[in-house]
Amino acid sequence: MVTRPDRDGDQQLRLLDDVWDKASQHWHDGMARQFEGGHWTPLLRESRGYLEALRKLMDMLEAAERDTEG
Amino acid sequence: MTSIHADIDALKGLREALVRYRHAQREVAGRGEEEIKVVRASLEAKASRWRAQLEQCQAEFGACQERAAQAAADGPAIGDDPVDCSGYARAVEQCGERLEQIRRWQQRIDAEASEFQGIASRFGDLLENDLPRTEEHLLALIRGLEGARRVQAPGA
Repeated sequence: MVTRPDRDGDQQLRLLDDVWDKASQHWHDGMARQFEGGHWTPLLRESRGYLEALRKLMDMLEAAERDTEG
Repeated sequence: MTSIHADIDALKGLREALVRYRHAQREVAGRGEEEIKVVRASLEAKASRWRAQLEQCQAEFGACQERAAQAAADGPAIGDDPVDCSGYARAVEQCGERLEQIRRWQQRIDAEASEFQGIASRFGDLLENDLPRTEEHLLALIRGLEGARRVQAPGA
């Protein structure tokens, strides 16, 4: 079964977040805090913004197809 | 794995996960773009079918109106039912409504897709430029830590 791209994208983000949680248990010095602020947080923010917009658009495309059937 | 290297291993794992994430989200973005194209094409095909259907309904309605006008001009004939075009008129109205419904969806999707493109473009830039830089940054950190450990090792 083909899944929606936004759902796959969410799943990928969850997987990455899990890896970060594990990594941050072993890496929590000044460089880690710098990395979190400079790289990790912007990456999460952009990813979530994109995936939310993609979800909204995919919902609309599905509704359009449903509403114009027949 | 010794605990002294746990941070290095964690960083390596994180870097590998970022590479996988970049490739996977690139594929997600590509599928999103493809889905927009598919639905736009599907709506255009439906609109085309309903336009053809509308033309046919209008032609049938027009022919009925001509018959009604002719019957009115000929005067009432015994046994003939009056020409009723209301069914054809309803069909024209229904076809028009379906076509309008599709046009409204096309306009909504155009507006939403246009807004989405800006967000998708920023995310694409993150995948193509920012993430590789982040991966490089992590690699430099890993090498730095590995180098420092090698230096420290003999006296440790």
